[in-house]
Amino acid sequence: MDTKAKIKEVLVKLLRVKPEELKDDARLYDSIGVDSTEMVETVIALEKEFKVKLSPKEITKFSTINDIEKNVQSKISV
Amino acid sequence: MEKIAVTGIGVVSPSGIGKRQFWANIKSGRSFIKGITRFDASKYPSRIAGQIDDLERYSHISERLLKKIDAFSHMALVASEMALQDAGIDIKNEDPNLVGIFLGNALGGWLYAETELRDLYLEGREGVSPYMASAWFPAAPQGQVSIYYGIKGFSKTVVADRASSLMAIGYARKVLSKDKLNLILAGGMEAPVTPYALLCCNTYGALSKNNAHPENAYRPFDKKRDGCVIGEGSGILVMEGIERAKSRGARPSAYISGYGTTCDAVDRINPASDGKELARAIEMALADAKVNKEEIGYISLDGLAVDIWDDSEIRAIKTVFGSRLKDIPLSCPKSMFGNLLGASGALDLIVSLLAMEHNLVPPTINLDEPAANGLSFVRKEAKQHNISKALIISRGRGGINSVLVVEKGET
Repeated sequence: MDTKAKIKEVLVKLLRVKPEELKDDARLYDSIGVDSTEMVETVIALEKEFKVKLSPKEITKFSTINDIEKNVQSKISV
Repeated sequence: MEKIAVTGIGVVSPSGIGKRQFWANIKSGRSFIKGITRFDASKYPSRIAGQIDDLERYSHISERLLKKIDAFSHMALVASEMALQDAGIDIKNEDPNLVGIFLGNALGGWLYAETELRDLYLEGREGVSPYMASAWFPAAPQGQVSIYYGIKGFSKTVVADRASSLMAIGYARKVLSKDKLNLILAGGMEAPVTPYALLCCNTYGALSKNNAHPENAYRPFDKKRDGCVIGEGSGILVMEGIERAKSRGARPSAYISGYGTTCDAVDRINPASDGKELARAIEMALADAKVNKEEIGYISLDGLAVDIWDDSEIRAIKTVFGSRLKDIPLSCPKSMFGNLLGASGALDLIVSLLAMEHNLVPPTINLDEPAANGLSFVRKEAKQHNISKALIISRGRGGINSVLVVEKGET
């Protein structure tokens, strides 16, 4: 499974949203109305999934799936 | 202070969810106290409770929200929805700045907190849900109900042990009578059927140990009483000004007309044995309601089923009502579903409102041999009785007394 699909899977499982609600280029705040606490949870879940250290300052509720993918990819490649 | 109309009732209790089912079970005098099944309570001295197992069936709360909140917020959300529906109110049509929420709670949300504390010790800091911070504390249901409905008016959560919710309703009336708000959701919620909350209630020492016969365990005012049994749930009312209620075509089921509260100031747990301060709170509520004691047709008792609490309560009503007390029906219907602690006053009020509406006083079950003689306890089964005005007593540890006077509405 590619990184983007895994990110979506984490979000669907964690936030109990429908997969079709997640749009690659929409901000999470706009597409599924995430709050800041959900983002704390999301960052922790993504860290566990990809075994990398992520920054809650870089992955925010105003990030898109594409933004998150880019961020995660950059940490994985390091 | 003016009377305030009650136009909607929402109830989530071990005796039923929704006022129809609740009332049907209450008037039948059936006990809903059972052995605790949610967790292994076998080592607890008291391991019985009024437990709710089918809340999901009545709930429209999303999975996404449920994982962020404790059971006591869930119960308050379901009760609020039922109350609004009963009142025929669509919050979207209200000015959100003029709607408030006044709720009472004693313990907070331990089902959520305990799981997270376990994770803290097992997995460390990162094992704890970030929602822990907003899920456990007593005002969390107020926040969740406000977010769910977009309610933005003056609101308050009262924490005063078992007197919490009756006090919240008393405050709500005060705020409405000053015309500060159009409408208030008022009541309380409690979810004490959790390992830690049950432990604390056991430590307090006021719980019945009659685990072998749960249905007979809670016996307020009975000679063989040995403490109360906890219960979980929520009771929420829609309260609004009489003029406003009538102008929108609502028929108030009752009016809240008086409130009184005092402190005993003698002990950090027990009440004063003389009941004098409770008597003063009753007098205060009657004066506030401009109701003569002769007009009271029913008294809903706090009834903790602990000697000093029950005896001082009887002393207080004797002090106020004197020889007339023998003619006033008295009852403590929570003996059927358990003491909802911070939400107990709201549930007592709801039972009283339904009793007035149906001209039927529900019984105190298990009151086989009253410890006090010459009183009109309604026992074993419900009794036909027209009530136009009733008194509700709710008390808390540390000697908190709160009393409400209610009057029959248009039924």
